[in-house]
Amino acid sequence: MHNDVVLVIVVGTALAFDFTNGFHDTANVVATSISTRAMSPRLAIGVASVLNFVGAVISLAVAATVAQDIVSSDAITPTVVFAGLIGAISWNLITWYFGLPSSSSHALIGGVVGAAWAAAGASAILGNGLLGKVLIPALIAPTLAFIAGGSAIAICYRIVAAQRPGLVARGFRLGQVASGGLLALAHGTNDAQKTMGVITLALVANGDISPNHFHVPTWVVISAASAIALGTYVGGWRIIRTMGTRIIRMDAAQGFSAQGAGAAVILASSHFGFPLSTTHVISGGVMGAGAGKRLSAVRWGVAGDIVTAWLMTLPAAAAIGALTYGITRVFGTGSAGPVVVAVVALALAALTFVRRAQQGAPVPAR
Amino acid sequence: MRTTLAEIIDPTAVWQTIVAALVAGIGVTMVFSIGIFAIARFVELGREERPVGAFGFAALAMVALIACLAAIVVGIIVMTSK
Repeated sequence: MHNDVVLVIVVGTALAFDFTNGFHDTANVVATSISTRAMSPRLAIGVASVLNFVGAVISLAVAATVAQDIVSSDAITPTVVFAGLIGAISWNLITWYFGLPSSSSHALIGGVVGAAWAAAGASAILGNGLLGKVLIPALIAPTLAFIAGGSAIAICYRIVAAQRPGLVARGFRLGQVASGGLLALAHGTNDAQKTMGVITLALVANGDISPNHFHVPTWVVISAASAIALGTYVGGWRIIRTMGTRIIRMDAAQGFSAQGAGAAVILASSHFGFPLSTTHVISGGVMGAGAGKRLSAVRWGVAGDIVTAWLMTLPAAAAIGALTYGITRVFGTGSAGPVVVAVVALALAALTFVRRAQQGAPVPAR
Repeated sequence: MRTTLAEIIDPTAVWQTIVAALVAGIGVTMVFSIGIFAIARFVELGREERPVGAFGFAALAMVALIACLAAIVVGIIVMTSK
C-alpha cells in the first residue's frame, strides 16, 4: 500500500518537474522571437506550447538513459527518483527566481545522482556514463552553437549588407517563425521524454511494468506532454528577458542565426546519440550571434552568471537530491517521508512564487 | 585498469556531430540570407523595369527558400526517427 502512495507522489512530482521544465525553458524557444518582434509574446508562447506538446508525442524513443546510463539500476527506487525530482525542481525554481537560464536536464540528472549516492553510495554512480553522456556533451554542445551562431551571423551580414534594412528584418522575422517552431518541436521531443522515462522507471521499480517489457504507457505520454505544454504556456518571463535582451540586444538576423545554430546542434547531437541541454545550446547560439557582430555586443557579465549557473547545476541539484533522500529516510522506509517532503516542497514553491510576485509584475519582453 | 576517453565517448560520432552541426547551422542561415538578398534584388530590379535580372533573382530566391524548407523537413524527420 505505502509503495503505491510513494508512486503516486513520484508521478505527481515528475509532472510538477515537467511543468517547471516547460515553464523554465520557454525562454529558450521563444525569447529570440519575442525580442526581435518576430512574434507577439502571447502568440510565440502559444505556438511553442502547442509544438512542445506535439514534439513530446511524436517521438517515443524513451530518454530513460537519463537514469539508466548514469546511475546503477539497482539503486533506483521510487524514493530515489522522488528525491532526485525534488532536487531538480528546487534548482529550477532557484534559477528561475534569479532569472538565470540553466539546464533542467542537468538538474534532473544531478538530483537523481545525488539521491542515488545518498541511498547506495558512490558505487551506484556510473562515472563513465556521467562523463560521456553528460559532462563532455555539456562542454561541446554550447561551444558548437557559439561557433555556428557567430559564423552564421558574420556570413549573413556580408550577404545582406547592402540591402534595405526594413525588408531584410521582415525576411528574418518570417524565418524566425520557422526556426523557432523547429526549436519548440525539438525541445518537446528532448525534454518531455526525460520525464516520461523517469515516470516509467518508477513504474518499473514499483513492479507495475516488467523490466523485460519496457514500454511507456499512453497515460504517461499524454500527461507528460500536457505538463510541459502547460508549463510552456504559463511561461517564465524572467528568463525570457535574460535570454532575449540581457545577453545581447539582438536584431532579427541574429535571432534567426541563434535559433538556426541551436536547432542544428540539437538535431545533429540527437541524431548521433548525444543527449544535451537545449538551454546550453541556445544560450551558446545567442552569445555566438552577438559575438559574431562584435565581441563587445555580448554582455559578458550576464554570460558569466549564466555559465556559473551551468557549472553549479549538477552539484547543487545533487546536493539537494541527497539531502531530500536523507530527510525522507528520517521518517523511515514507508510513505511518511515522501509525503512530508512533498508537502513542505509544495509550500516552499508557493512561497517562492508569492515572494517573486510581490517583488514585481512579469517583465515585458520589450 | 585505466579507461581511455575513446572508450567513454565515440570520437567518430563526436566529429560527425561537429561537422553536421556546423554545416547545417551555418549553411541554413547562409542559404536563407541568400534568399533574402535575392528577394531584395528582385524587388529593386522590378522597380527599375529590368525583367530578365529580376527573373534570375526570383529563381534564386525560390531555390534558396526551397532549400530552407527541405532543411526543416529533414530536421523533423531526424526528430521523429530518434
